[in-house]
Amino acid sequence: MTTPIPVRHNIPAHVPPELVLPIGLVEGPEFLKAPHAFMASLHQTHPPVFFSPSEYGPDVWTLIKHEDCFHVLRHPEIFTSKTSTPFPRDPDNYFPMVPVEIDPPDHRKYRAILEPMLTPAAIGKLEVKIRKLANDLIDEFIGDGMCEFTTAFGRPLPVSVFLDLMGLPQDMRDTFVSWAMGLLHSQNQAEMQRAMDDTCAYLQKVIEEKTRNPDDKAVSAIVHGRAAGNPLTAPEIFGFVFFLFIAGLDTVFATLNNIFAWFADNPERRHEIISNPQNINNATEELLRVFSVTFSGRSLTRDYELRGVKMKMGDRVTTVLPAANYDPDVFENPSEVDFNRVRKPNLAFAGGVHSCMGAHLARMETKICIEEFLRRIPDFRLKAGTKLEYLPGGVVGPKVVPLQW
Amino acid sequence: MASVTYVDPDGSRRKVEVPNDESVMRGAVNNMIDGIVAECGGGLACATCHCYVDEAWIERVGEPSRTELEMLEMVASERRTNSRLSCQIIVTDALDGLLVYLPDSQF
Repeated sequence: MTTPIPVRHNIPAHVPPELVLPIGLVEGPEFLKAPHAFMASLHQTHPPVFFSPSEYGPDVWTLIKHEDCFHVLRHPEIFTSKTSTPFPRDPDNYFPMVPVEIDPPDHRKYRAILEPMLTPAAIGKLEVKIRKLANDLIDEFIGDGMCEFTTAFGRPLPVSVFLDLMGLPQDMRDTFVSWAMGLLHSQNQAEMQRAMDDTCAYLQKVIEEKTRNPDDKAVSAIVHGRAAGNPLTAPEIFGFVFFLFIAGLDTVFATLNNIFAWFADNPERRHEIISNPQNINNATEELLRVFSVTFSGRSLTRDYELRGVKMKMGDRVTTVLPAANYDPDVFENPSEVDFNRVRKPNLAFAGGVHSCMGAHLARMETKICIEEFLRRIPDFRLKAGTKLEYLPGGVVGPKVVPLQW
Repeated sequence: MASVTYVDPDGSRRKVEVPNDESVMRGAVNNMIDGIVAECGGGLACATCHCYVDEAWIERVGEPSRTELEMLEMVASERRTNSRLSCQIIVTDALDGLLVYLPDSQF
């Protein structure tokens, strides 16, 4: 409460001063020190609904209760996701993020285009391939007795799976890795802009190529897709492909990095997983709960009151999903990692109509990575003297995870 | 508008009015019926709005789509011939009086 509010902020008159609590979400020192512990602690230190001015993003109502976050996500008629993605775009060359920025009922028509590729049955067909990919990556470093996990495994695995799903060539892997890093984690404006330009130029070229030569993969499905009978417009096609790039590359990466950094420090919990192979789905679900990596933003379509707090039409709201997954009213002893926990709605993949389309894929990738890595390298630790540092930004994970075995 | 009755595993009943074109899932979620979780909000991307349609209603409710059948393979509680995902049952006047039973668990 004593943190000074930066002068640039014009706190709207309807926001009670006692609820203006800047927490530096995704960039402040407390957050960056130990993001998940910090977000979990908000339940003790903060009211359920407060207003947090941000250094970089918009000033937002910040929600941390599981019930409130799920409520917001389930009511797109009150909390719209239009223009809710904090990703900067050129106003002269604007494209919507499809389908996340489209509200019902139109939303479904777009989502349906990719649905058949992302059902559990469709994803199940990728299992053998992903398992082989994981093992090929492990082969490259297992003999070294060490690896930098994020670059050797956490990054290349989801990128390869993504390229395959999209119908892009595997030899683009390292290029995509560098674009993703430049675009999502660069602290340098020029570098970020260059990554954005290169990515856009490449995706545009791919869209043209798939327009001429259709295949059975995602980019082609979008290019040739119909939303309620109508072809998508050029900005919609680009926005759909670009959104998958943003959504699909960084989230599994950050999730794996969080999980393996924790494994390194918790040998007995690793062995609990190794000796209970039949419980792998529950273990994966619990790890996704405690290491949720992202947030979901909305804007109010009308004035609304939540827990006695009056919000105005147009106000922005952030659901702090990692905090919601530590809500003690839903998860008993929330900070305890319990692989036998009774399953409750886990907001790692958000919820409601915009819940993650790739959730089945992400769950499977995470599970396979845990199984294969722990099978091949059951004992490992963080390199001596490592102090984990976290990347600022809307996808929460450590910068580097140097492992030794 | 149709009145839809949701029956909990313990036999307790809740009757709610659901507007036309809303799903049976939304009828539950909007009325705090916890037996329907609906993680994905009707996206056909989870199987947490599972219900059993009363046999007397099964024909009027219609057939599940292929994607729904695929998702029904994932339900946590026993799958029966009258298993449906409630997000895929869209309310019309013809469903006035619909009776659905909720499973023990959605996970």
